[in-house]
Amino acid sequence: MNFLAEKNRRNGKKTHGIGLFLGFLLFFTLPLLVQSNHYILQVFTHALLLASLALAWNLLGASGSISLGHAAFFGAGAYGSALLGLDLGLSSWVTIPLAGLIATGLGLIMGLICLRLRGAYFALATLAFVEIPWVITDNWDAVTRGSLGLVGISGLPSFNIHGFRIDFGSGIIVSYYLVFAYFVILLGIVAVVFRSNIGLALQAIREEEVAAEAVGIHVNRYRMLSLLLSAFFTGVCGACYAHLVRYIEPGLVYGLHFSAVPMIFAICGGRFTILGPAVAAMVLYPMDQFVFHPLLPAGHEFLYGAVLILTVLFMPNGFWGKLRNAS
Amino acid sequence: MILLQLKSLNKTFNNFCALTNIDFSVSEGEIIGLVGPNGAGKTTLFNLICGRYKPSSGNILFKEIDITNLKPHAICRLGISRTFQSSRPFPHMSVLQNVMVGQVFGKGSSFHNRPKDRQAAIELLDIVGIVHKAGTPAGRLTLSEQRRLDLARALATRPKLLLLDEVAAGFSPVLVKQAIELINRVRKRGVTLLIIDHFLNLSLKVSDRLLALDHGEKIAEGSPHVVMRNPEVLRAYLGLRYQDENDER
Repeated sequence: MNFLAEKNRRNGKKTHGIGLFLGFLLFFTLPLLVQSNHYILQVFTHALLLASLALAWNLLGASGSISLGHAAFFGAGAYGSALLGLDLGLSSWVTIPLAGLIATGLGLIMGLICLRLRGAYFALATLAFVEIPWVITDNWDAVTRGSLGLVGISGLPSFNIHGFRIDFGSGIIVSYYLVFAYFVILLGIVAVVFRSNIGLALQAIREEEVAAEAVGIHVNRYRMLSLLLSAFFTGVCGACYAHLVRYIEPGLVYGLHFSAVPMIFAICGGRFTILGPAVAAMVLYPMDQFVFHPLLPAGHEFLYGAVLILTVLFMPNGFWGKLRNAS
Repeated sequence: MILLQLKSLNKTFNNFCALTNIDFSVSEGEIIGLVGPNGAGKTTLFNLICGRYKPSSGNILFKEIDITNLKPHAICRLGISRTFQSSRPFPHMSVLQNVMVGQVFGKGSSFHNRPKDRQAAIELLDIVGIVHKAGTPAGRLTLSEQRRLDLARALATRPKLLLLDEVAAGFSPVLVKQAIELINRVRKRGVTLLIIDHFLNLSLKVSDRLLALDHGEKIAEGSPHVVMRNPEVLRAYLGLRYQDENDER
C-alpha cells in the first residue's frame, strides 16, 4: 500500500511538471498568440505582476498570519524606486532592488510592532500600519511631492549588450517579458523556501505554535524572516508597477486595493500552496478585466468579493489546495 | 551527576500561588514520578522547566547552566523536551513529517541531512509503535496514537531530559502495560524522565523516586513505597476522613 502511494505521488509529480511546463510555454508564447494585441498583453502584464504580488504576500501567509497591510510595502517600493530614479538619476536596475530593501526596512518596523500579535489582531494592526508610510508620503512635500503624485517616471530598464540595445521600456512586449521573468524567478524562490527547512518551520508554526516552540523552532525569528522576505518582494512588485505605469500617487499605491488583492488571490488559490495564489491571480484578474469590466464598469470588482466569500465558505483551503487534496 | 536542579521556585498568577518554594533535583538516568491531585501545580512546574512560563522567583539549573530565563526553543536545544497533557500534533502534516520537525529543529548540529533524518524518524515511529501510520495526517490519529506521536516527536529532538505530561491518562490496562515497556525502552536510550502521573497507574511501576505536590507545595519525596504511605499524600489524594479512619485502626 505504501508502495502504491509512492507511485501515485510520483505520477502526480509528473503531471504537475507537465502542467507547469505547458503553463510556462503558454505565457512565454502569449505575445505571439495574441499577435501583440496591446490591450490583451497589458492585462496579462498586470496579471503577472499581481500574481507576483500574491506570491510575495503568501511568503508571510505561510506562517499563518494574514496581512491587510501589504500596500505599505508596495507603496514604499513604488515611491522608493521612482524617487531614486527621478532625483538621483539612478538606473532602474539599481533602484528596483533598492526599493525592495526600503520595503524590507519598513517590514522590520512593522514586524517589531505587529508580530507580537496573532490572528485578527495582527491583521488589524497591519491594516492600521499602512497609514504611517501613506501619511508621510502624502505630507512630506519636499521629498515626495506630496499628494500630487509623481509623473515622468522612467520606463522599465533597458539592456545594453555590446552596443545591442534591448529597450524594455519601449514596448508592451518587452515589459511583459520583464514582468514574466520576475514572476518566474519569484515562483522559483517561493518553491525553494516552501520546501526548505524554513517552509517546514513556518508550517509547524501555523499549525501548532506552542508545539513548534517546544521542538526547538525559534518562532519569532521565523515569523520575522517570512515577513521580511514578503516585504522585500512586495517592494520589488511596487517598483515594477511604478516603472510600468509611470505615474503614481499616494492614494493609488498605498490604497486598500494593493493590500486586499494579493490576500484575495492567495486565499482563493490556497494560502498554503506554492502555485495557488499565482493561479488565482492569472485566472481572476483577466476574468475581471475581460468579462466583468465591460459588463459592469462601475462595480466590476464585486467579482473579488464574491469569489472570496465563496472560497471561504466552500473551499477554505483554496481551489488549488482542494485540487491537490483530491488528486 | 545532577542533571536538573530546582532552587526555591515560586510561581504566582495574580496573587494565586501556583507553586511555593519548590526545591528538587534530578540525577542523570533517573525516572521521577510527579504526583498530586488536580491543581497541585504539576503542569505548571513542567511549563516552568520548559520555559513557557517564567518563575516569579527561584532558579532552574540544567547541567549546571541557568535556564531560568531562556525561551522554550532554546531550552529544547539544550536537551529538554516534553509532551503535552492534551497532545499537540501538527494536524495537517503526516505523522512522519511531525517527527521530522523534531529531528530537524531539535538539539544537535545545524547541518541536516534529510534522508538520514527521515530514517531516524522512521525508527522512532517504530519504537512508539505507529510506524504503519507514517503517511497519515496527524490530525486523523486516535488519542492514544497522538500521545505516541507526541512522544516520538519529543524524542526526535534528542533530549537528555524528557518531561511526560499524563502519558497514560485514560489508557486501558493493556495500553498502560505498553506504555511501561515504552518508557523502559526510552530509558535505555539514556534519557532521564520526569513523568506527571495523576492517576498513579504508571509512576508506581516505573519510577525510582516520586515527588508529591499539593496546593503548589512539595509534600513528600522519596521512593514510591515511602511516599505513598506518607500521611500528607494520603490526605491530599483521599481526603481527611480516610486518614482519620486509618489512624483509628
